[in-house]
Amino acid sequence: MMKMRNLVLSASLSLAFGATAHAADPIKIGMPVGLSGANSVVAPSVVQAAELAVEEINAKGGVLGRKLALEIADDGSGAQGAQRAYDSLVFQKKVDAIVAMETSAARNAGLPIINRGKVPMIYTSFYEGRSCSPWMFVNAWVPEQQVAPVVDQFMGKEGAKKFFLIGSDYAFGRGMLEFTRKYIQSKGGTVVGEEYLPMDGSDWTAVISKLRSANPDALITSTAGGAPNVTLTKQLRAAGIKIPYGNLALDEGTAKTMGGDAEGIYISASYLSSLDNPANKKFLEAAKAKFGSKLETPNELSVPQYEGIHAYAAAVQKAGSTDAAKVVKELAKVSVQGPRGTITMNKQHHAPLTMYLGRVKRDGSVEVIKSFPNVDPGEQCPHLAD
Amino acid sequence: MGVLTLDILTTAAILFAVAAGLMIILGVMKLINFAHGAFLTTGGYVAYLTGAAGISPWLSIPLAGVLGMAAGLVIERVIVRPLYARPLDAILATWGLGIVIGQVITLTFGRGVQFAPSPLSGTTALFGVDYSAYRLAVALIAVLIAGALSALLSFTRFGLNARAVIMNETLARGLGIDSAKVRAITFGMGAGLACAAGALITPLLSVDPNMGLPWLVNSFMLVMISGVSFPSLLIASIVLGGAQVLVSTYVSPILGGMTIVALAALVLRFNPRGFSRA
Repeated sequence: MMKMRNLVLSASLSLAFGATAHAADPIKIGMPVGLSGANSVVAPSVVQAAELAVEEINAKGGVLGRKLALEIADDGSGAQGAQRAYDSLVFQKKVDAIVAMETSAARNAGLPIINRGKVPMIYTSFYEGRSCSPWMFVNAWVPEQQVAPVVDQFMGKEGAKKFFLIGSDYAFGRGMLEFTRKYIQSKGGTVVGEEYLPMDGSDWTAVISKLRSANPDALITSTAGGAPNVTLTKQLRAAGIKIPYGNLALDEGTAKTMGGDAEGIYISASYLSSLDNPANKKFLEAAKAKFGSKLETPNELSVPQYEGIHAYAAAVQKAGSTDAAKVVKELAKVSVQGPRGTITMNKQHHAPLTMYLGRVKRDGSVEVIKSFPNVDPGEQCPHLAD
Repeated sequence: MGVLTLDILTTAAILFAVAAGLMIILGVMKLINFAHGAFLTTGGYVAYLTGAAGISPWLSIPLAGVLGMAAGLVIERVIVRPLYARPLDAILATWGLGIVIGQVITLTFGRGVQFAPSPLSGTTALFGVDYSAYRLAVALIAVLIAGALSALLSFTRFGLNARAVIMNETLARGLGIDSAKVRAITFGMGAGLACAAGALITPLLSVDPNMGLPWLVNSFMLVMISGVSFPSLLIASIVLGGAQVLVSTYVSPILGGMTIVALAALVLRFNPRGFSRA
């Protein structure tokens, strides 16, 4: 009888503490993402990219003999939702790492929780730069990498001297244009006007009239993605504005649906679905095979998510454990061969990236005009070691 | 200067077109129709579907109007009429209706941004400036709408009945006017106007499930200070639209976006009857 009780006791004990004892338990990757709110348009493609990466890694036997598992949490695209999502992922679900494509507001809200919980994090959305944490790595672009190709093209080939800047009134829009203004001035150009509209604003009449009277050589915009981007472009076209037009926030999918109105717009990106390299072809085929007609077009926010999960897996493999401190050391070293090329987050937790200058064609597809290999992210977090 | 004048006139015309539907419903039914924004959005999607089907974009405006009117008649019968005796609940019901319409649109078309083709592209030379041809067309159409509505109210039997209901519904009913019918037709017209306005402004904008919301706020403010009269709505549109353009041009477009709301509050503070003569 006594024996029996011990047996039951030890069985329940091993159930209770199984998580640490059992080697075959999955490695949990938390993924806060904006399933609702502003990011909800792009979020499905990001979730698909993450699922694909996890499936690929698990098909090869996982990492250190353990499978990967995704824990997805809706952050509502904002700060409040992100606090809840991070809190539950880090402290309740006890994930081993976070790989997140998010708004800047959500990232800023989640970062203190990451620092408290000491969980490795990979941020996979382009952003306005200079967000630093010993636990966070970034594999997407910052203004230093994205703005230069467009401005250089306009000042060189198009001979533009006077620029007009238009943005949406929020951290990303203002951050991007502030950097753009300084970059233009450092290259000897002038900014003859800089105008913003609230994020939900759709009437650009006055802004366009100001643009006309300032008579610039070129226009660079950084509006919020989606609606503001479209309303501005349509109204510019309707007003007959024909100067070179660089758009820092236009993604391939939106350009495609806009068709004729988007023709001639310059965009600058680290990923375009038309990239001609074996890794991208393999990625697109695998995505198509897995999701079929449900596939959300891969884009500049979903591909870094795919690569981010591969980067985490590679770092765990190299570190030989999921121990946060060890993994973080390896994250700064491992390279991922992905659709965007070989990417290493070795520059103050950011990554040098190959950037592409593209121009939207009449049918809405994007033609790559020039590529800029391994553009440096610059001084993002000087106090963090490389 | 020419550009500024045209900016003010076209902005006022757009505001007028967008607010007209809200105003006639308020006038006859004493009901703020908070589903107005959703009706505008619906009009936008009609324009998108018309474009996608390859039909002339000009037709999207009357199409949206007819569809909106039909939907308005049904909605009036099913949702609004049972709540006539409870005006506050009726307002809440239209708010809820707006949410339902928005969600149905989201479920059908997704949250993404869609596009409707513009019937007119490029610019027209006017007063020595090249100006967006479609904005000028919108201004013209708004003037036509204003004329047609005024004529409807002034010269038709329905207009007479409607004016009677606006002035004193109990008395009108006592004189044998079927006020329930007047209300139903009015709600249908208001919804139809809103949808048509949505289709009208869509070529300048993008179509997404929330496109009507900012317009609802501005329309509401305009109607609050104009009262129930087309001439005073026209004046309100020109004054507030003009102020918005001026502030946007000379101060900042961010403040410009708040001008209508702020100015409307000020006008109501100092003159609670707004611009209406009634």
